[in-house]
Amino acid sequence: MSLSPATVVLRNVTKRFGDFTAVNDLSLEVRAGRIFGLLGPNGAGKTTTIRMIVNIFGPDSGEVRLFGKAISPATQDRIGYLPEERGLYKKMKVGDQLRFFAELKSVNGTEADLRIDHWLKRLKLSQWKDRRTRELSKGMQQKVQFITSVLHKPDLLILDEPFSGLDPVNVELLKEIVLELKASGKTIIFSTHQMELAEKICDDICLINRSQKILEGSIRDVKRASSRNAVGLRLEGGTEVLADQSLVTSIERHSDGIEVLLAEKTNPQDLLKKLIDGGAMIERFEMIEPSLNNIFIEKVSEAE
Amino acid sequence: MRKFFAILKREYIQRLRSRMFILITVLGPVMISLFGIAPALALRIKAGGPLKIAVVDQTGKLYQGVYRSLTDNAGPPESGQDELNAAAPGKNPSERFQQLNDKQEGRYEIQEVRLEGRPLNVVEKELDRRVLAKELDGYLILPADLLQEGKPQYFGRNTGDVFTRKFLQEALSKAVRQQRLAEANIDPRIVQELSEPVKLEALKVSATGDGVRDSGEGFALVFGAGFIMYLTILMYGQMILGAVIEEKETRIGEILFSSVKPFTLMMGKLVGVSLLALTQLAIWGLAFVALVVYGVGMLAANGMTLNVPHVPLIHFVYFGLFFLMGYFIYSTIYALIGSMVTTAQEGGQLSMPVVLFPLIGFYLFLPVSRSPDSSFAFWASMFPFFSPMTMLVRIVTQTPPWWQIALSLLLGFSTVALVTWLAGRVYRVGMLMAGKKASIPEVVRWLRQP
Repeated sequence: MSLSPATVVLRNVTKRFGDFTAVNDLSLEVRAGRIFGLLGPNGAGKTTTIRMIVNIFGPDSGEVRLFGKAISPATQDRIGYLPEERGLYKKMKVGDQLRFFAELKSVNGTEADLRIDHWLKRLKLSQWKDRRTRELSKGMQQKVQFITSVLHKPDLLILDEPFSGLDPVNVELLKEIVLELKASGKTIIFSTHQMELAEKICDDICLINRSQKILEGSIRDVKRASSRNAVGLRLEGGTEVLADQSLVTSIERHSDGIEVLLAEKTNPQDLLKKLIDGGAMIERFEMIEPSLNNIFIEKVSEAE
Repeated sequence: MRKFFAILKREYIQRLRSRMFILITVLGPVMISLFGIAPALALRIKAGGPLKIAVVDQTGKLYQGVYRSLTDNAGPPESGQDELNAAAPGKNPSERFQQLNDKQEGRYEIQEVRLEGRPLNVVEKELDRRVLAKELDGYLILPADLLQEGKPQYFGRNTGDVFTRKFLQEALSKAVRQQRLAEANIDPRIVQELSEPVKLEALKVSATGDGVRDSGEGFALVFGAGFIMYLTILMYGQMILGAVIEEKETRIGEILFSSVKPFTLMMGKLVGVSLLALTQLAIWGLAFVALVVYGVGMLAANGMTLNVPHVPLIHFVYFGLFFLMGYFIYSTIYALIGSMVTTAQEGGQLSMPVVLFPLIGFYLFLPVSRSPDSSFAFWASMFPFFSPMTMLVRIVTQTPPWWQIALSLLLGFSTVALVTWLAGRVYRVGMLMAGKKASIPEVVRWLRQP
């Protein structure tokens, strides 16, 4: 595990709205230069957590620190934020709109114009610069919104469901950009409930449910910890071996093979050896890692 | 501060460029003058040509006088063009029809119908027929004892026309009065000279001892200023309301608040829209001044001089101060309302009562101007929601001691500060509340939040 310094630190953070506790005693660390997945079902408290990081409101108790400092308007300027609730001024021209958001982040004049042109080109929106925002399709508006979050070259980029509503081509484009930003040393918080995506791009994750953290760590660690010792098989014969309850506890049949869950002390190597000895013809034999989606569902239903 | 200006600039430029603003700036004065002139014009427009009225004069003395006062003419020509008689020869041989040249009241065509021995009811029947046939609009019956106590009668197709009725009554009264005077051998000219009314000249007592002539221009100006203030508050209050709600409706607030403080955002919008209002007023003001200067110049060139209203310079300073104060009191209230609601519709409902306050202030003009040093006027000019208008009236009619003006300004601008602070607090929380309007207890709770 890398020991890069933490960009964001939450310590025992709690936030209540009236009687409702949105975030309960949450602690987490987002390490610099990595993509951090803030995962959880709808209403888990992801957006509330993000709002505290971007200083829209403060926690009721606990502490939020950014770049090693307490939250302040100055730390705000180092954050780029793409909220889940997208919002642009519909009547403004795309160029004017971007210039306004750049000014809000203290990027002015020619520098702002250069960056705007660069990003519009990158996201294939150059010919839309002088059009009014409401004339753009939803996906295009979303790309404009994305530009507003990166114009000021933030050290921390927070993306709340950045891919929802985008077509596959644009999802790829945006993913590529996010990975580039990571490569250039930026820290990225990626909030989503789409696990397949999180699995592909996140380095670390934190799973929250019902305002509480239920799982955290690097993707690899999380998967290893949740590994169920399962093997995917496609074979002919070997039925007696598989029927041995001391080796295999359960068999699940799929259209292109079977998935077996090994008994606690069984080594996959032993199973393979016994199958070969038993004369089975093996076409496929692989260790199955649980998908993040499975882990997610399992952990969330466990917590219920 | 830079962010504040970024918001202010966006608000101002975007709205300044909008077609609506340009349209209102150009058409506003046209509309206002139309509203001012239209009713007067409408009354002058008499659709359907002159009213044709027949007069049956049973006294035998009054017709000339009635004709004169109805038409404002020297008198009926002794032998007029006999149009009707030509159209229906032999039927009404005694009718004479006089058409007026279009004098100021050229809306009446008067003709005399003589009984010539026929009974009155026969003539009435005949006239009824002609009224129904639309040859006449109505007829007057002057009884023989009209000069004593008799009552004249008017029969017409349209008796709902109050203007005509009043005009006829006045004309008859005048004719009868003159006839009575004549019969009493009193020269009407002497009567006129004797009953000439006086004209009161009002002089304002000032410390320097010279009376300053006040012919009401000051009051007219303050009335005009109040009216402009009211209009501006209505128009731009709504715009501020909309601007503040805009971020909630577009869900843009979240991204803005990750960059600026809510208070900065709200103030940027408030000041941006206010600058827009001032821009518009300045354009109108300059246009008006240009028109007046040009107009007065034109008149002077044609040998006419116009008295430019005498208003002390300090009054203009007060106008400016109280105008700004009134404007900001109400615009911050609109901002407060905007921060409590989530849609423009809700905002509209909640701002209804606010529309009434400046109206009340406007109506307080009269009682305050009649007794500007009463305690009623004092309190009315201290209460911040009314003081922008009432204090102006007091200053113009009977300038109160300086400390009262200062106190009124202080109270007013403190209210502005207080409401702005409140609005900022509510805005901060309310901004992220989507979906429902805040209740009063909720708002109170938001205020307490750290």
